[in-house]
Amino acid sequence: MVKALAFTMEPGLVAELASHTRRLAGEAVLVAPKEAASKAPAGVYTKAYILEAGDPAAFAAALEKVYNEYKPDIVLTIASKNNTTAAALLAAKLRLPMLTEALEPRIEGSTLTAKRRVLGGRAEASYRAQLPAVLSLARGAAEPLQEAGGVEAQPLEAPQPRVTLLESKEKVREAVNLEEAEIVVGVGRGFRSREDLKLAEELAQLLGGVVGASRPIVADYGWLSEDRWIGISGKKIRPKLYIAIGISGAPQHMAAAMDSKIIVAVNKDKNAPIFQYADYGVVADLYQFLPVLIKKLRERLNR
Amino acid sequence: MPLNIAVLAKASLDPNMIRTRGDSLVDIEAMPLALSEYDKNAVEAAVQAKEKHGGKVYVLSVLTWPPAARRVKELEQVMREALAMGADEAHVVVDEALIPGDPLATAEAFAALIRKLGQVDLVVAGEASMDMISSQVAARVAALLDLPFIGFARSLEIGDGRVRAVRDLEDRLETVEAPLPAVVSVTGEANKPRIPTLIQVRRAFRKPINRYSLADLGLEPPAKPELGEIRVLTVSRKNIILEGDNLEEIAEKLIDALIKEGVIKA
Ligand SMILES: Cc1cc2nc3c(=O)[nH]c(=O)nc-3n(C[C@H](O)[C@H](O)[C@H](O)COP(=O)(O)OP(=O)(O)OC[C@H]3O[C@@H](n4cnc5c(N)ncnc54)[C@H](O)[C@@H]3O)c2cc1C
Ligand SMILES: Nc1ncnc2c1ncn2[C@@H]1O[C@H](COP(=O)(O)O)[C@@H](O)[C@H]1O
Repeated sequence: MVKALAFTMEPGLVAELASHTRRLAGEAVLVAPKEAASKAPAGVYTKAYILEAGDPAAFAAALEKVYNEYKPDIVLTIASKNNTTAAALLAAKLRLPMLTEALEPRIEGSTLTAKRRVLGGRAEASYRAQLPAVLSLARGAAEPLQEAGGVEAQPLEAPQPRVTLLESKEKVREAVNLEEAEIVVGVGRGFRSREDLKLAEELAQLLGGVVGASRPIVADYGWLSEDRWIGISGKKIRPKLYIAIGISGAPQHMAAAMDSKIIVAVNKDKNAPIFQYADYGVVADLYQFLPVLIKKLRERLNR
Repeated sequence: MPLNIAVLAKASLDPNMIRTRGDSLVDIEAMPLALSEYDKNAVEAAVQAKEKHGGKVYVLSVLTWPPAARRVKELEQVMREALAMGADEAHVVVDEALIPGDPLATAEAFAALIRKLGQVDLVVAGEASMDMISSQVAARVAALLDLPFIGFARSLEIGDGRVRAVRDLEDRLETVEAPLPAVVSVTGEANKPRIPTLIQVRRAFRKPINRYSLADLGLEPPAKPELGEIRVLTVSRKNIILEGDNLEEIAEKLIDALIKEGVIKA
């Protein structure tokens, strides 16, 4: 029977973690912040430990103690930046193999197999490892398990962190749901200013779609909020129609748009890689083409 | 206070140059290696710190892709790129037992190498390598050397024997601080990597590249997970190109096509 040590620093991921834990393990314990640990379902965990999030290294040090006591076959978490960091720190101390953003994990005897996305997200690699091992599972791969809590939850002590927190600032959130959108208009570095994104916003509005963006537009320039970031480090989209404008078509961007039904690319560089990923590629300057497209759409759609 | 800084810079398979055999099997040996995208930000951060505080920048790399004999040249080219950006020396580990790479093995090689280099005040890496995207190696190196770790730094600043950084997490930005020596991984937003001048490129050829095997580092071959096949995920697309001077006509054609595809409604 497989024994698992499951943990999450992110309370919001606890239901997804429980779902994987139930599938992979016969017996398990959970380490999580109080609000998550208190909800640990008895059908999955025999015990829960309460550990507040804080610094990943301090969290990992506390996990190591539980690991050494419980001696699990596998350590499970869901890939967030902090969870992956804590998992990697723990794996290094214990000299264990680890797979980040693991998909389709399976355990047979003492062998673990799993897949993960590599090469900018454009390819999938298969792995085989001997237990014990650490898995940071890709988010969104399992239906969250909603089951009432009820196991004994015991507080755990973390050591004083060596990295001290001076300030924490929440990021701006918008009420957009790129993942569910039927039409997405993506903007990239081909746009020269925040002002100019109005062109894409007008197009999106006309089509009843949502504006999304490449990483630099969001993370470098801060022109749009992170809810609109498309890519392996942002959101995965699967619309009927994705119109990518002024986006070069980097693998890390396109990997997250692969499930789009139709992809249209507008780029002034005929050799831009995005054209290989497009059903319809328009070779044109977006500043000239978008006003024309918007005008024609208004005529055709009577809007 | 002058600083000794080690940068971890990977010769990664270039995801923009995927080559396949048969229909979807990735042909690793046919793909070129390139300096991993965000490792350029790591080199830039290290060179900026050196420019401000004085000291030395070591660029470190572990070869992780076969065939080793041929890849050594490519690895050296990648190291020259970092040296041209302002690193002073390169130290590379080449050993069949580390190929194909795995974060466990790579990090153990780095930890031994850094110990061998002596006093290192700061280790800088990228947030993730562009081929394997595991975000493990930097954290593992910190754990093995028992140093404080700051991951996903979107800015960093060094002074008074401390590093201060802004950690870019999913829902918040955390300003954090750690005493040196420490390990930091930087995001692609941390800085704008410089493009070396021709003179700097030429000068880089005179800088040393030192090579080590596992035995040189006093290490046994580590047990790694087994990497099986890598398959490219493809969706076939129509690849219809619309170009020319008549933008009105192109717009009409595009709208017709999208209506026909049933993705917009007339
Ligand atoms: C580990 C890792 C993770 C990453 N994660 C992501 C991610 O999640 N999402 C993401 O998007 N990227 C990600 N990236 C970055 C990615 O590699 C690219 O750097 C990025 O996607 C480029 O964005 P872009 O296409 O907007 O900009 P660029 O590559 O600069 O492309 C701009 C394009 O606009 C075109 N253009 C310029 N002017 C005009 C004009 N007037 N009219 C029409 N076209 C014009 C140009 O020809 C060019 O093709 C990641 C990278 C790494 C290494
Ligand atoms: N083989 C390697 N050689 C040099 N640096 C590496 C290597 N592997 C990983 N790194 C460093 O560790 C970071 C994270 O890599 P990874 O854990 O593979 O995502 C990279 O951005 C590099 O800075």
